Amino acid sequence: MPASAVSDPIEVSDIDLVKRSQAGDTRAFDILVTRYRGRIYAMTYHLIQNETEAWDLAQEAFIKAWRALPNFKLDAGFYTWLYRIAHNVSYDWLRKKKIQGDGEFDDEHTSHRAAAGAETAPKGDPAPDMAMRNAEVGQRIQAAIAKLSPEHRQVIVLREVEGLAYEEIAEMIPCSLGTVMSRLFYARKKLQEQLKDVYETTL
Amino acid sequence: MKPPSENHDLIRWLDGEMNDNERASFDEQLKHDPLLAKEAEELRALSATIRLHLPAEMKMPHADFFNSQIQVRISQMEADDARSNVASAPTWFAVFRWLRQPWFVAAGAAALAVLSFVLLRPAQDAPSQSTILSSYTPNTHVRAHTFHDEAADATVLMLDGLDEVPAEKKISGITVQRSEMEPEFASTTLFDAEGERLLMISRDSTGSPLIWTKTPRG
Repeated sequence: MPASAVSDPIEVSDIDLVKRSQAGDTRAFDILVTRYRGRIYAMTYHLIQNETEAWDLAQEAFIKAWRALPNFKLDAGFYTWLYRIAHNVSYDWLRKKKIQGDGEFDDEHTSHRAAAGAETAPKGDPAPDMAMRNAEVGQRIQAAIAKLSPEHRQVIVLREVEGLAYEEIAEMIPCSLGTVMSRLFYARKKLQEQLKDVYETTL
Repeated sequence: MKPPSENHDLIRWLDGEMNDNERASFDEQLKHDPLLAKEAEELRALSATIRLHLPAEMKMPHADFFNSQIQVRISQMEADDARSNVASAPTWFAVFRWLRQPWFVAAGAAALAVLSFVLLRPAQDAPSQSTILSSYTPNTHVRAHTFHDEAADATVLMLDGLDEVPAEKKISGITVQRSEMEPEFASTTLFDAEGERLLMISRDSTGSPLIWTKTPRG
Protein backbone atom coordinates (compact mmCIF):
# COMPACT_ATOMS: atom_id res chain seq x y z
CA MET A 1 0.00 0.00 0.00
CA PRO A 2 1.85 3.07 -1.17
CA ALA A 3 2.10 6.01 1.17
CA SER A 4 4.06 9.17 0.69
CA ALA A 5 5.16 11.67 3.26
CA VAL A 6 2.74 14.56 3.53
CA SER A 7 4.50 17.43 5.26
CA ASP A 8 1.91 19.84 6.58
CA PRO A 9 -1.64 18.62 6.03
CA ILE A 10 -3.10 22.09 6.49
CA GLU A 11 -1.07 23.50 3.66
CA VAL A 12 -1.77 20.67 1.25
CA SER A 13 -4.67 21.37 -1.09
CA ASP A 14 -7.52 18.99 -1.67
CA ILE A 15 -6.45 18.59 -5.27
CA ASP A 16 -2.96 17.49 -4.29
CA LEU A 17 -4.33 15.04 -1.75
CA VAL A 18 -6.85 13.69 -4.23
CA LYS A 19 -4.15 13.20 -6.86
CA ARG A 20 -2.02 11.28 -4.39
CA SER A 21 -5.01 9.26 -3.29
CA GLN A 22 -5.84 8.41 -6.87
CA ALA A 23 -2.29 7.11 -7.18
CA GLY A 24 -3.00 4.80 -4.24
CA ASP A 25 -1.56 6.92 -1.42
CA THR A 26 -3.73 5.94 1.53
CA ARG A 27 -2.00 8.41 3.85
CA ALA A 28 -3.10 11.28 1.65
CA PHE A 29 -6.62 9.92 1.75
CA ASP A 30 -6.37 9.69 5.52
CA ILE A 31 -5.73 13.44 5.64
CA LEU A 32 -8.81 14.05 3.52
CA VAL A 33 -10.79 11.89 5.93
CA THR A 34 -9.50 13.92 8.88
CA ARG A 35 -10.25 17.17 7.08
CA TYR A 36 -13.88 16.38 6.29
CA ARG A 37 -15.02 13.75 8.76
CA GLY A 38 -16.59 16.37 11.07
CA ARG A 39 -18.73 17.86 8.31
CA ILE A 40 -19.70 14.54 6.83
CA TYR A 41 -20.53 13.15 10.25
CA ALA A 42 -22.65 16.23 11.04
CA MET A 43 -24.66 15.69 7.89
CA THR A 44 -25.21 11.96 8.45
CA TYR A 45 -26.01 12.62 12.10
CA HIS A 46 -28.59 15.30 11.35
CA LEU A 47 -30.21 13.06 8.77
CA ILE A 48 -30.09 9.80 10.70
CA GLN A 49 -30.37 11.09 14.27
CA ASN A 50 -28.44 8.18 15.68
CA GLU A 51 -24.78 8.35 16.61
CA THR A 52 -23.82 4.78 15.81
CA GLU A 53 -25.60 4.65 12.47
CA ALA A 54 -24.32 8.10 11.50
CA TRP A 55 -20.78 7.04 12.37
CA ASP A 56 -21.08 3.89 10.25
CA LEU A 57 -22.65 5.74 7.34
CA ALA A 58 -19.97 8.42 7.38
CA GLN A 59 -17.38 5.67 7.20
CA GLU A 60 -19.27 4.00 4.38
CA ALA A 61 -19.26 7.29 2.50
CA PHE A 62 -15.47 7.59 2.76
CA ILE A 63 -15.00 3.98 1.65
CA LYS A 64 -17.26 4.55 -1.35
CA ALA A 65 -15.35 7.73 -2.12
CA TRP A 66 -12.06 5.82 -2.05
CA ARG A 67 -13.42 3.25 -4.48
CA ALA A 68 -14.83 5.95 -6.76
CA LEU A 69 -11.74 8.15 -6.67
CA PRO A 70 -10.42 6.90 -10.03
CA ASN A 71 -13.55 8.40 -11.61
CA PHE A 72 -13.30 11.71 -9.78
CA LYS A 73 -12.58 14.62 -12.09
CA LEU A 74 -10.15 17.09 -10.63
CA ASP A 75 -12.06 20.10 -11.93
CA ALA A 76 -14.87 19.37 -9.46
CA GLY A 77 -14.79 20.25 -5.77
CA PHE A 78 -13.77 17.27 -3.69
CA TYR A 79 -15.98 18.15 -0.72
CA THR A 80 -19.06 18.68 -2.90
CA TRP A 81 -18.42 15.31 -4.51
CA LEU A 82 -17.82 13.62 -1.16
CA TYR A 83 -20.88 15.30 0.33
CA ARG A 84 -23.04 13.96 -2.48
CA ILE A 85 -21.80 10.43 -1.83
CA ALA A 86 -22.46 10.76 1.90
CA HIS A 87 -25.87 12.23 1.25
CA ASN A 88 -26.82 9.36 -1.07
CA VAL A 89 -25.56 6.76 1.39
CA SER A 90 -27.57 8.32 4.21
CA TYR A 91 -30.70 8.87 2.20
CA ASP A 92 -30.65 5.29 0.90
CA TRP A 93 -30.42 4.15 4.50
CA LEU A 94 -33.37 6.34 5.46
CA ARG A 95 -35.48 5.03 2.62
CA LYS A 96 -34.70 1.43 3.52
CA LYS A 97 -35.69 2.15 7.09
CA LYS A 98 -38.92 3.66 5.89
CA ILE A 99 -39.66 0.68 3.62
CA GLN A 100 -38.95 -1.73 6.45
CA GLY A 101 -41.59 0.15 8.43
CA ASP A 102 -39.89 -0.27 11.73
CA GLY A 103 -41.56 2.77 13.22
CA GLU A 104 -38.53 4.96 12.77
CA PHE A 105 -40.66 7.94 11.86
CA ASP A 106 -43.52 7.41 14.27
CA ASP A 107 -43.80 10.16 16.81
CA GLU A 108 -44.19 7.60 19.58
CA HIS A 109 -41.07 5.66 18.71
CA THR A 110 -38.68 8.29 17.51
CA SER A 111 -35.94 8.80 20.01
CA HIS A 112 -33.11 11.20 19.69
CA ARG A 113 -29.92 9.94 21.15
CA ALA A 114 -27.31 12.59 21.69
CA ALA A 115 -23.86 11.47 20.72
CA ALA A 116 -21.53 10.81 23.60
CA GLY A 117 -18.71 13.20 23.02
CA ALA A 118 -20.42 14.78 20.03
CA GLU A 119 -20.87 18.51 19.89
CA THR A 120 -24.48 19.21 19.10
CA ALA A 121 -24.39 22.68 20.57
CA PRO A 122 -22.64 25.71 19.10
CA LYS A 123 -18.98 26.07 19.90
CA GLY A 124 -17.83 28.58 22.45
CA ASP A 125 -17.88 28.80 26.19
CA PRO A 126 -21.31 30.06 27.25
CA ALA A 127 -22.34 30.36 30.87
CA PRO A 128 -23.53 27.06 32.40
CA ASP A 129 -27.21 28.03 32.42
CA MET A 130 -26.97 29.24 28.83
CA ALA A 131 -25.16 26.05 27.85
CA MET A 132 -27.91 23.98 29.40
CA ARG A 133 -30.57 26.03 27.64
CA ASN A 134 -28.69 25.59 24.35
CA ALA A 135 -28.48 21.86 24.89
CA GLU A 136 -32.21 21.66 25.60
CA VAL A 137 -33.11 23.68 22.53
CA GLY A 138 -30.74 21.60 20.44
CA GLN A 139 -32.40 18.42 21.63
CA ARG A 140 -35.87 19.82 20.96
CA ILE A 141 -34.86 20.73 17.40
CA GLN A 142 -33.23 17.36 16.80
CA ALA A 143 -36.33 15.59 18.11
CA ALA A 144 -38.60 17.69 15.89
CA ILE A 145 -36.47 16.97 12.83
CA ALA A 146 -36.43 13.28 13.69
CA LYS A 147 -40.21 13.28 13.36
CA LEU A 148 -40.09 14.55 9.81
CA SER A 149 -40.32 12.19 6.86
CA PRO A 150 -36.99 11.41 5.12
CA GLU A 151 -37.90 13.76 2.27
CA HIS A 152 -38.68 16.67 4.57
CA ARG A 153 -35.71 16.00 6.81
CA GLN A 154 -33.48 15.93 3.78
CA VAL A 155 -34.43 19.38 2.47
CA ILE A 156 -34.23 20.94 5.93
CA VAL A 157 -30.70 19.64 6.48
CA LEU A 158 -29.57 20.64 2.99
CA ARG A 159 -31.03 24.11 3.30
CA GLU A 160 -30.66 25.08 6.95
CA VAL A 161 -27.48 23.22 7.87
CA GLU A 162 -25.56 23.18 4.62
CA GLY A 163 -27.05 26.40 3.26
CA LEU A 164 -27.49 25.01 -0.24
CA ALA A 165 -29.44 27.02 -2.81
CA TYR A 166 -32.65 25.57 -4.22
CA GLU A 167 -30.97 24.58 -7.47
CA GLU A 168 -28.21 22.78 -5.61
CA ILE A 169 -30.77 20.94 -3.50
CA ALA A 170 -32.78 19.97 -6.58
CA GLU A 171 -29.62 18.63 -8.19
CA MET A 172 -28.54 16.77 -5.07
CA ILE A 173 -31.83 14.95 -4.42
CA PRO A 174 -32.59 15.03 -7.47
CA CYS A 175 -36.01 16.61 -8.03
CA SER A 176 -37.63 19.72 -9.50
CA LEU A 177 -37.34 23.19 -8.00
CA GLY A 178 -41.06 23.10 -7.34
CA THR A 179 -40.66 19.93 -5.29
CA VAL A 180 -37.84 21.50 -3.29
CA MET A 181 -39.99 24.52 -2.45
CA SER A 182 -43.00 22.40 -1.66
CA ARG A 183 -41.05 20.10 0.67
CA LEU A 184 -39.36 23.01 2.37
CA PHE A 185 -42.69 24.70 2.91
CA TYR A 186 -44.36 21.69 4.53
CA ALA A 187 -41.27 20.70 6.49
CA ARG A 188 -41.14 24.17 8.02
CA LYS A 189 -44.83 24.16 8.80
CA LYS A 190 -44.37 20.93 10.74
CA LEU A 191 -41.35 22.28 12.59
CA GLN A 192 -43.23 25.49 13.27
CA GLU A 193 -45.97 23.53 15.04
CA GLN A 194 -43.53 21.62 17.21
CA LEU A 195 -41.08 24.38 18.00
CA LYS A 196 -43.31 27.38 18.45
CA ASP A 197 -42.39 27.84 22.09
CA VAL A 198 -38.70 27.50 21.23
CA TYR A 199 -38.37 30.12 18.54
CA GLU A 200 -40.95 32.50 19.97
CA THR A 201 -38.44 33.58 22.60
CA THR A 202 -36.29 35.01 19.84
CA LEU A 203 -39.11 37.14 18.35
CA MET B 1 -57.40 19.01 8.96
CA LYS B 2 -56.94 21.15 5.90
CA PRO B 3 -53.24 21.44 4.99
CA PRO B 4 -51.75 24.92 4.84
CA SER B 5 -51.66 26.33 1.34
CA GLU B 6 -48.19 26.52 -0.15
CA ASN B 7 -46.65 29.91 -0.41
CA HIS B 8 -43.51 29.58 -2.49
CA ASP B 9 -42.98 33.34 -2.54
CA LEU B 10 -42.74 33.34 1.22
CA ILE B 11 -40.04 30.68 1.41
CA ARG B 12 -38.19 32.09 -1.58
CA TRP B 13 -38.12 35.44 0.20
CA LEU B 14 -36.99 33.74 3.39
CA ASP B 15 -34.19 31.82 1.67
CA GLY B 16 -32.93 34.71 -0.42
CA GLU B 17 -34.00 33.07 -3.67
CA MET B 18 -35.71 36.18 -5.07
CA ASN B 19 -34.19 38.71 -7.41
CA ASP B 20 -34.20 42.39 -6.47
CA ASN B 21 -37.50 43.18 -8.16
CA GLU B 22 -39.26 40.20 -6.64
CA ARG B 23 -37.92 41.02 -3.20
CA ALA B 24 -38.99 44.66 -3.41
CA SER B 25 -42.45 43.60 -4.51
CA PHE B 26 -42.74 41.05 -1.69
CA ASP B 27 -41.49 43.54 0.90
CA GLU B 28 -44.24 45.88 -0.22
CA GLN B 29 -46.75 43.07 0.15
CA LEU B 30 -45.56 42.42 3.71
CA LYS B 31 -46.20 46.03 4.65
CA HIS B 32 -49.85 45.71 3.74
CA ASP B 33 -50.52 42.21 5.02
CA PRO B 34 -49.96 41.87 8.80
CA LEU B 35 -50.80 38.15 8.81
CA LEU B 36 -48.26 37.43 6.10
CA ALA B 37 -45.72 39.62 7.89
CA LYS B 38 -46.25 37.68 11.15
CA GLU B 39 -45.87 34.36 9.34
CA ALA B 40 -42.70 35.58 7.63
CA GLU B 41 -41.24 36.73 10.94
CA GLU B 42 -42.03 33.40 12.60
CA LEU B 43 -40.46 31.39 9.82
CA ARG B 44 -37.38 33.59 9.91
CA ALA B 45 -37.06 33.02 13.65
CA LEU B 46 -37.51 29.28 13.17
CA SER B 47 -34.80 29.20 10.53
CA ALA B 48 -32.40 31.19 12.67
CA THR B 49 -33.01 28.90 15.65
CA ILE B 50 -32.42 25.76 13.61
CA ARG B 51 -29.22 27.13 12.10
CA LEU B 52 -27.94 28.14 15.49
CA HIS B 53 -28.42 24.70 16.97
CA LEU B 54 -27.59 22.40 14.08
CA PRO B 55 -23.87 22.75 13.47
CA ALA B 56 -22.54 22.02 10.00
CA GLU B 57 -19.54 20.37 11.61
CA MET B 58 -19.47 18.07 14.60
CA LYS B 59 -16.74 16.42 16.57
CA MET B 60 -16.44 12.86 15.34
CA PRO B 61 -16.66 10.40 18.24
CA HIS B 62 -13.66 8.07 18.39
CA ALA B 63 -12.10 9.97 15.50
CA ASP B 64 -8.79 8.08 15.44
CA PHE B 65 -10.60 4.76 15.40
CA PHE B 66 -12.79 6.09 12.58
CA ASN B 67 -9.72 6.83 10.45
CA SER B 68 -7.95 3.60 11.29
CA GLN B 69 -11.03 1.55 10.44
CA ILE B 70 -11.17 3.16 7.01
CA GLN B 71 -7.51 2.32 6.43
CA VAL B 72 -8.13 -1.27 7.50
CA ARG B 73 -11.07 -1.61 5.13
CA ILE B 74 -9.11 -0.11 2.25
CA SER B 75 -6.30 -2.62 2.89
CA GLN B 76 -8.83 -5.46 2.95
CA MET B 77 -10.40 -4.30 -0.30
CA GLU B 78 -7.04 -4.08 -2.00
CA ALA B 79 -6.12 -7.56 -0.80
CA ASP B 80 -9.46 -8.90 -2.05
CA ASP B 81 -8.98 -7.20 -5.40
CA ALA B 82 -5.48 -8.63 -5.72
CA ARG B 83 -6.74 -12.14 -4.99
CA SER B 84 -9.58 -11.70 -7.45
CA ASN B 85 -7.23 -10.53 -10.18
CA VAL B 86 -4.97 -13.52 -9.69
CA ALA B 87 -7.95 -15.88 -9.78
CA SER B 88 -9.25 -14.43 -13.01
CA ALA B 89 -6.00 -13.68 -14.80
CA PRO B 90 -6.86 -13.95 -18.46
CA THR B 91 -4.21 -16.22 -19.83
CA TRP B 92 -4.59 -18.60 -22.70
CA PHE B 93 -2.98 -21.18 -20.48
CA ALA B 94 -5.91 -20.88 -18.09
CA VAL B 95 -8.41 -21.16 -20.90
CA PHE B 96 -6.90 -24.31 -22.28
CA ARG B 97 -6.32 -25.77 -18.84
CA TRP B 98 -10.03 -25.27 -18.34
CA LEU B 99 -10.74 -26.99 -21.65
CA ARG B 100 -8.66 -29.96 -20.52
CA GLN B 101 -10.47 -30.41 -17.23
CA PRO B 102 -11.70 -33.99 -16.71
CA TRP B 103 -15.25 -32.87 -16.14
CA PHE B 104 -15.19 -31.13 -19.41
CA VAL B 105 -13.86 -34.05 -21.41
CA ALA B 106 -16.04 -36.56 -19.61
CA ALA B 107 -19.07 -34.56 -20.46
CA GLY B 108 -18.30 -35.11 -24.10
CA ALA B 109 -18.74 -31.46 -24.82
CA ALA B 110 -15.16 -30.48 -25.20
CA ALA B 111 -14.61 -28.39 -28.18
CA LEU B 112 -11.90 -26.29 -29.46
CA ALA B 113 -12.38 -23.94 -32.23
CA VAL B 114 -9.22 -23.43 -34.09
CA LEU B 115 -9.39 -20.50 -36.29
CA SER B 116 -7.33 -19.72 -39.29
CA PHE B 117 -7.56 -16.07 -39.91
CA VAL B 118 -5.86 -13.10 -41.26
CA LEU B 119 -5.82 -10.04 -39.08
CA LEU B 120 -6.10 -7.03 -41.29
CA ARG B 121 -3.62 -4.54 -39.95
CA PRO B 122 -5.68 -1.45 -39.20
CA ALA B 123 -4.77 2.02 -40.35
CA GLN B 124 -3.72 4.42 -37.58
CA ASP B 125 -7.20 5.75 -36.96
CA ALA B 126 -9.28 2.87 -38.22
CA PRO B 127 -10.79 0.26 -35.92
CA SER B 128 -9.07 -3.11 -35.85
CA GLN B 129 -10.99 -5.95 -37.41
CA SER B 130 -10.21 -9.59 -38.11
CA THR B 131 -11.35 -11.53 -41.10
CA ILE B 132 -12.10 -15.13 -40.16
CA LEU B 133 -11.41 -17.46 -43.03
CA SER B 134 -12.28 -20.81 -41.48
CA SER B 135 -12.83 -22.56 -38.19
CA TYR B 136 -12.41 -26.09 -36.93
CA THR B 137 -14.06 -27.81 -33.98
CA PRO B 138 -12.95 -31.32 -33.03
CA ASN B 139 -16.31 -31.97 -31.46
CA THR B 140 -18.92 -31.91 -34.21
CA HIS B 141 -21.65 -31.01 -31.71
CA VAL B 142 -20.00 -27.68 -31.16
CA ARG B 143 -20.37 -24.92 -33.68
CA ALA B 144 -18.05 -21.95 -33.86
CA HIS B 145 -18.85 -18.61 -35.36
CA THR B 146 -17.44 -15.15 -35.03
CA PHE B 147 -18.51 -11.57 -35.41
CA HIS B 148 -16.98 -8.16 -35.06
CA ASP B 149 -18.37 -6.08 -32.19
CA GLU B 150 -18.16 -2.46 -33.26
CA ALA B 151 -18.73 -1.06 -29.78
CA ALA B 152 -15.96 -3.13 -28.23
CA ASP B 153 -13.81 -2.96 -31.37
CA ALA B 154 -13.18 -6.66 -30.95
CA THR B 155 -13.67 -9.91 -32.78
CA VAL B 156 -15.84 -12.22 -30.73
CA LEU B 157 -15.65 -16.01 -30.91
CA MET B 158 -18.87 -17.84 -30.06
CA LEU B 159 -18.90 -21.55 -29.23
CA ASP B 160 -22.39 -23.05 -29.29
CA GLY B 161 -22.96 -26.49 -27.83
CA LEU B 162 -20.60 -26.36 -24.87
CA ASP B 163 -21.71 -27.45 -21.44
CA GLU B 164 -22.21 -24.69 -18.93
CA VAL B 165 -19.01 -23.46 -17.36
CA PRO B 166 -18.97 -24.24 -13.62
CA ALA B 167 -19.70 -21.18 -11.52
CA GLU B 168 -16.34 -21.33 -9.79
CA LYS B 169 -14.47 -21.07 -13.08
CA LYS B 170 -13.66 -17.55 -14.08
CA ILE B 171 -12.87 -16.89 -17.71
CA SER B 172 -12.30 -13.36 -18.83
CA GLY B 173 -11.40 -11.79 -22.12
CA ILE B 174 -8.00 -11.70 -23.70
CA THR B 175 -6.93 -8.78 -25.80
CA VAL B 176 -5.18 -9.80 -28.96
CA GLN B 177 -3.26 -6.87 -30.35
CA ARG B 178 -2.07 -8.43 -33.61
CA SER B 179 -1.38 -11.68 -35.38
CA GLU B 180 1.21 -13.03 -37.76
CA MET B 181 0.78 -15.79 -40.29
CA GLU B 182 3.61 -17.92 -41.58
CA PRO B 183 2.40 -19.72 -44.73
CA GLU B 184 5.50 -21.86 -44.80
CA PHE B 185 4.53 -23.51 -41.53
CA ALA B 186 0.79 -22.96 -41.90
CA SER B 187 0.79 -21.27 -38.52
CA THR B 188 -0.82 -18.25 -36.98
CA THR B 189 0.59 -16.53 -33.90
CA LEU B 190 -1.34 -14.11 -31.72
CA PHE B 191 0.43 -11.34 -29.78
CA ASP B 192 -0.67 -9.16 -26.88
CA ALA B 193 -0.12 -5.39 -26.48
CA GLU B 194 3.39 -5.95 -25.11
CA GLY B 195 4.32 -8.04 -28.13
CA GLU B 196 4.37 -11.28 -26.19
CA ARG B 197 3.08 -14.46 -27.86
CA LEU B 198 -0.30 -15.49 -26.53
CA LEU B 199 -1.14 -18.41 -28.78
CA MET B 200 0.30 -20.17 -31.79
CA ILE B 201 -1.87 -22.39 -33.95
CA SER B 202 -0.58 -24.78 -36.54
CA ARG B 203 -1.33 -28.22 -37.95
CA ASP B 204 0.65 -31.41 -37.96
CA SER B 205 1.22 -33.68 -40.95
CA THR B 206 -2.18 -35.32 -40.43
CA GLY B 207 -3.97 -32.00 -40.36
CA SER B 208 -4.71 -32.12 -36.63
CA PRO B 209 -4.30 -28.82 -34.79
CA LEU B 210 -1.17 -28.03 -32.84
CA ILE B 211 -1.48 -25.38 -30.19
CA TRP B 212 1.13 -23.58 -28.16
CA THR B 213 -0.08 -21.37 -25.33
CA LYS B 214 1.64 -18.81 -23.17
CA THR B 215 2.33 -20.22 -19.72
CA PRO B 216 1.60 -18.10 -16.70
CA ARG B 217 4.42 -16.21 -15.04
CA GLY B 218 5.95 -17.59 -11.88
